[in-house]
Amino acid sequence: MDVFLQQLVNGLTIGSLYALVALGYTMVYGVMKLINFAHGDLVAFSAFAGLTIYTQLFDDGTTSLVAVVSVFAFTAAVIAVVGVLLERLAYRPLRTAPRLSAVVSALGAGLVIQNAIMLIWGPNMKIFPSDLLPSTVYEVGGVVFTFTQVMILGFSSVLMVALFMFINRTKMGTAIRAVAIDQDAARLMGINVNRVIMLIFIIGSALGAVAGLFLGIYYRGISFDMGWQYGLNAFVAAIIGGIGNIPGAMAGGLLLGLFNAMISGYFSSQWAEAFTFILLIVILIFRPTGIFGEKVAEKV
Amino acid sequence: MKTILPKLAASVAVSCALVSAVSAADVIKIGVQAPITGQYANEGQSIDYGVKLIAEQFNAKGGVLGKKIEVITCDDEAAPQKAAICARRLVNEGVMAVIGSYTSGATEAAQATYYRNGVLQTSDGTSDSLTEKKYWTFFRNSFQNSAQAEFTAEYFVNQKKYQRIALLSDYSSYSTGLVDAVEAELKAKGGNIVFKDRVRSGAQNFTAVLTRIKALNPDVIYFGGYYTDGGLIRAQQQQLRIEADFVGGDSNDNPDYMKLAGSSAAGTILINFPTPEFLPYDTAKQFLADYRAKYNQDPASIWALMNIDGLLTILHAMEELKTEDTKKISDYLHTLRDFPGITGPVSFREDGERINTKFNVYEIQSDNSYKIIF
Repeated sequence: MDVFLQQLVNGLTIGSLYALVALGYTMVYGVMKLINFAHGDLVAFSAFAGLTIYTQLFDDGTTSLVAVVSVFAFTAAVIAVVGVLLERLAYRPLRTAPRLSAVVSALGAGLVIQNAIMLIWGPNMKIFPSDLLPSTVYEVGGVVFTFTQVMILGFSSVLMVALFMFINRTKMGTAIRAVAIDQDAARLMGINVNRVIMLIFIIGSALGAVAGLFLGIYYRGISFDMGWQYGLNAFVAAIIGGIGNIPGAMAGGLLLGLFNAMISGYFSSQWAEAFTFILLIVILIFRPTGIFGEKVAEKV
Repeated sequence: MKTILPKLAASVAVSCALVSAVSAADVIKIGVQAPITGQYANEGQSIDYGVKLIAEQFNAKGGVLGKKIEVITCDDEAAPQKAAICARRLVNEGVMAVIGSYTSGATEAAQATYYRNGVLQTSDGTSDSLTEKKYWTFFRNSFQNSAQAEFTAEYFVNQKKYQRIALLSDYSSYSTGLVDAVEAELKAKGGNIVFKDRVRSGAQNFTAVLTRIKALNPDVIYFGGYYTDGGLIRAQQQQLRIEADFVGGDSNDNPDYMKLAGSSAAGTILINFPTPEFLPYDTAKQFLADYRAKYNQDPASIWALMNIDGLLTILHAMEELKTEDTKKISDYLHTLRDFPGITGPVSFREDGERINTKFNVYEIQSDNSYKIIF
């Protein structure tokens, strides 16, 4: 039982990070019907930017709550700007072009970001300081978890709930949902579609930035090519949950994290990634729209 | 345009050929194939820096056989596909010998190309398969996995008397080879292995597999992979409160291991060759001082120094034989005995294997210094 609960904690921690990244994929897809393949590299970029912001501004040997919160806020702001630029430069000019052009543009943008990271910070692995968050370890009934894990789980839950409320309870959220259903009809109703899309990129990138920083804090070592790995997992999570569906991305991320941990824990870590894709295939066969996805009638 | 292109290409090719014909005559080209970028970049860069330092020192004395040494570096990123491309490129550049690569996988991918072109290659790769092909062009300047495995098993079973042993590797040919060899040696000596699995290098999250190990309550976790994963495994082991010794194979011996493991690094046991600062030889002290003076840093680890020894033996053979003929150099090296290298006396066996290797067991202290414990 101990082992099961421990795997649950391990899986939920990484799963909630997948979920944060998956939200970026799913929101962009929901509104633009575009898979933003550059999103994973944006997450990697945020880990590097966050590390630089921390070492330049706050690394004076003492870590205060103010410093940590500021690093998160700064990084999220920087990455949100990058996200908006990405949309302006790589996607907006292609909005009416065939969908394949935008996908190619996304892959290209991902390569540009990845190489920018390599040119700015160098090709070597960079290492986060170990004292950014307290290294306290808690033990409850044989299950061990760290302060960082508590922060990851708590913070990402808060962000996900806040996003859910924002989408469902605010006027801006309603506008986002309207654009997701039908861009032309939304425009006719007086919604500024460009502004909604910009907002989507701001929110998605900021969430990715939080995930990227947490990845750095949790795992310490970051490399310029890490975006592909996390991006791919988060993308799978978004598909599993039903791409375009916000609660689906959250559930998909958590589910994928848990699934990975359980396969590694009870079967073999050699097979964890293979099983990720087996799960994806099974879901695509039996429920092509994902767990939360609804069947949408094609417009004629 | 269509008619101009072939002529243009031809003239470029001719001028290139002329340039290389001229330069081939008065320089000796030495290739470096190493991971200059990527996760093992600091090891690869140290090899490159070291080779360039030696080339500079030889050139200052007038070179070898009256010719200057020119170093050509190719970054293989520790990836087998890139290594094969590097091998092709270095052969085309006309190198007579190649130093590297750092990882066994990248070395192995390039081996056949050098062999077919008669280019000497010396690498610190420890995978047993590197010398099993018996290529006359290949020389190992470190030691093979099985030597380390025998030492490790001896230490586990007869020194520490571990009762429950967990083994972990990644998928690289070096790592699986080392851990399989350790497993075989442990079984031969009656060691009790309770767990064995592989992890994907760079996966970062090892908590799932460690939780599984925790349930088995081992005395020791042996990781025969690279420091980039070892540091994280150690940190996550402590975080999960697994009360077992952590023993790392040679490739965990790197300053970045300490950075990744953070405060968890203390207490780690490493099995490796003597580290640079423990090398008792004057040649080693001189080389380290020169390296520090030129680059304002220390080499990443002993591995760079072993590659330098590979280079030094080749240059020594050229000076002794007064020839650039790689076959003659190879024949000479196969019978070389006790050449005073930086990492100790260098001798090669008939299959290119380095002999007379000695291991130490180190424990990392709380100030990240090493203490020899066996």
